[in-house]
Amino acid sequence: MSTTTSTQAAPPTRRPLRYYQIGSHLFIAVMLLLSLIPTYLLITWSFKNGLQYRWERWAISFPLRWRNYVAAWDIVGDYMINTIIVAIFGLMGMLLLSLIGGYVFARMDFPFRETLYYAIIALLMVPWVLSFIPAYMVYVRLGLLNNRLALIIPELAGGPIFGIFLMRAFIAGIPEELFESARCDGAGVFDLIGRITLPLSLPGLATLAVLNFIGVWNSFLWPLVMIQDDEKQMIAVGLYKLARSATTGGVPGWTSQDFSVWGPLYAGYVIASLPLVLLFIVLGKFYVEGLVDSGLKV
Amino acid sequence: MTEGTGTVQQGSAAEAGKGIPSRSRELSTWQAMRRSWQAYALLAPIFILLLIFNYYPPVLGLLRAFYRWRPGVEASFVGLQHFGVYFTSPETGRELLNMFKLLAFFFFSGAVVPFIMAVLIFRIRDTESKELYRLFLIIPMLVPLIVVILLWKQIYDPNLGVINGLLEQFGLEFLARNWLGDTATALYAIMFMGFPWVSGVGTLIYLGGLGQISESIFDACEVDGCTGLRRTLQIDLPLVLGQVRLMTILAVIAGVTSFQQILVLTDGGPGFATMVPGLTMFHKAFRTQQFGYAASIGMVLFVITFAATLAVNRTVHPAVEDVRH
Repeated sequence: MSTTTSTQAAPPTRRPLRYYQIGSHLFIAVMLLLSLIPTYLLITWSFKNGLQYRWERWAISFPLRWRNYVAAWDIVGDYMINTIIVAIFGLMGMLLLSLIGGYVFARMDFPFRETLYYAIIALLMVPWVLSFIPAYMVYVRLGLLNNRLALIIPELAGGPIFGIFLMRAFIAGIPEELFESARCDGAGVFDLIGRITLPLSLPGLATLAVLNFIGVWNSFLWPLVMIQDDEKQMIAVGLYKLARSATTGGVPGWTSQDFSVWGPLYAGYVIASLPLVLLFIVLGKFYVEGLVDSGLKV
Repeated sequence: MTEGTGTVQQGSAAEAGKGIPSRSRELSTWQAMRRSWQAYALLAPIFILLLIFNYYPPVLGLLRAFYRWRPGVEASFVGLQHFGVYFTSPETGRELLNMFKLLAFFFFSGAVVPFIMAVLIFRIRDTESKELYRLFLIIPMLVPLIVVILLWKQIYDPNLGVINGLLEQFGLEFLARNWLGDTATALYAIMFMGFPWVSGVGTLIYLGGLGQISESIFDACEVDGCTGLRRTLQIDLPLVLGQVRLMTILAVIAGVTSFQQILVLTDGGPGFATMVPGLTMFHKAFRTQQFGYAASIGMVLFVITFAATLAVNRTVHPAVEDVRH
């Protein structure tokens, strides 16, 4: 244990709690190691051939079998591209509507503003179990079954509910003087949104984008019932179906003999996790803050 | 999802809006509305989308719970028949019991365990290890949920799974079993998924809450000799009740409505051992095309979630705000 004297936290008068501290460190470390086991297994298994998977279950096997990743990409690559297409279109629309909605509710004065605002916020309290079945029927009625629009629309329509809530609070914090001086220069509402609000609310939009991207990446039940063609399927359902067909030898190009199907399958799982890892590396701050704040604000 | 906690922020947003000088008070509402056409025009696309895809479905669901309903066929009114069928069917008791067991367990794994973990991490003096622990909490969250579920399915596998493998290595073969395929263990195996349940949003949310507590409170309780467990129960816990309430409500909602992991791990089996109402709803709709019946189960689950959320909100009252800095 390093003896860093954290300056503000520990005045010298404090009773030494050495044993307690060491015990805590140990307990926390054990818990974190336990929770990392599945991730560790996932990564080591993704580099194994059939025999190594069967006999060297816990160890890292060398040489690393990168070929698994090539085989996996051939299958999961398309699912990932599909999901990214849905995420791009859905998120762009969601961010635009959230920005506009947030601006209107934070910066414009009009009759029934609060009524309309709470009418939107009330939707946050409708649990998804209530809407799942009827929403399916509505989409079927509109002919959207097996259509990519059925994946984009929920993001576009439903995303701004929380988005407007978040962006209103964010945009309300921008000093009014900025808008006032722009108005004096003859700026219209689209200038006010595009030139002043947008650049100043990027952190809020980043948080929204991160949260919704995670949502899209994990969406499972909805694409499972809406999309029938494998060519349009999203990543989570794709992996679910892949796991089922891999063990029965139903994946073209993969041999199901001698446990050799498991390496590529786990490589596929790892590849499917990479966008979230990348997102965390690039937007880590918004990732954590978004997760923590969103829970508290809803 | 939850009420209450949001109102503070909403209030401040509303006040910021009121600061805008307005002439609307001198005008009649109608005139004011005509003047504000821009605002309505900007909101129009949002409300059109919401009306079709977010307001209409839940309302339709509440209505169609009383109808026989399937795609392409005219819906016919059947009154309370679906509810009668559901509550008299022999599996329903089992399903509801499973649901309440899961709910109780999710409270433990989603609200209690993360609290303990957060308190322990919060009290670590060394800021560098604190940061490191936070990072390690996040790593498992970077794996998509479906991958986590599929991995655990493999961990439980009777032949290739690592649990049985470990038992064999330690000479405990007699304990090895088909964890997900055995009626006695399947539901508990589903609960055990994600062990030790420390990583994830919960611990981070609690850590955020603990971080907001003013340092002077901890100093004061140090002076009064209030440390260890006593401090946890009398200082930490009361001051993060807002977070406790949130995590409890999330656990309730997950317990009542989530069935994705059950669908993937056991699909309700073996037999009906791991069946929950949400999964029955899913099966009735997408396997036997009984959409009206499914909608009625959805309505039952909505009522349960709503009542439970309300109950949690009434019982758990967060501490006053002025102890925060």
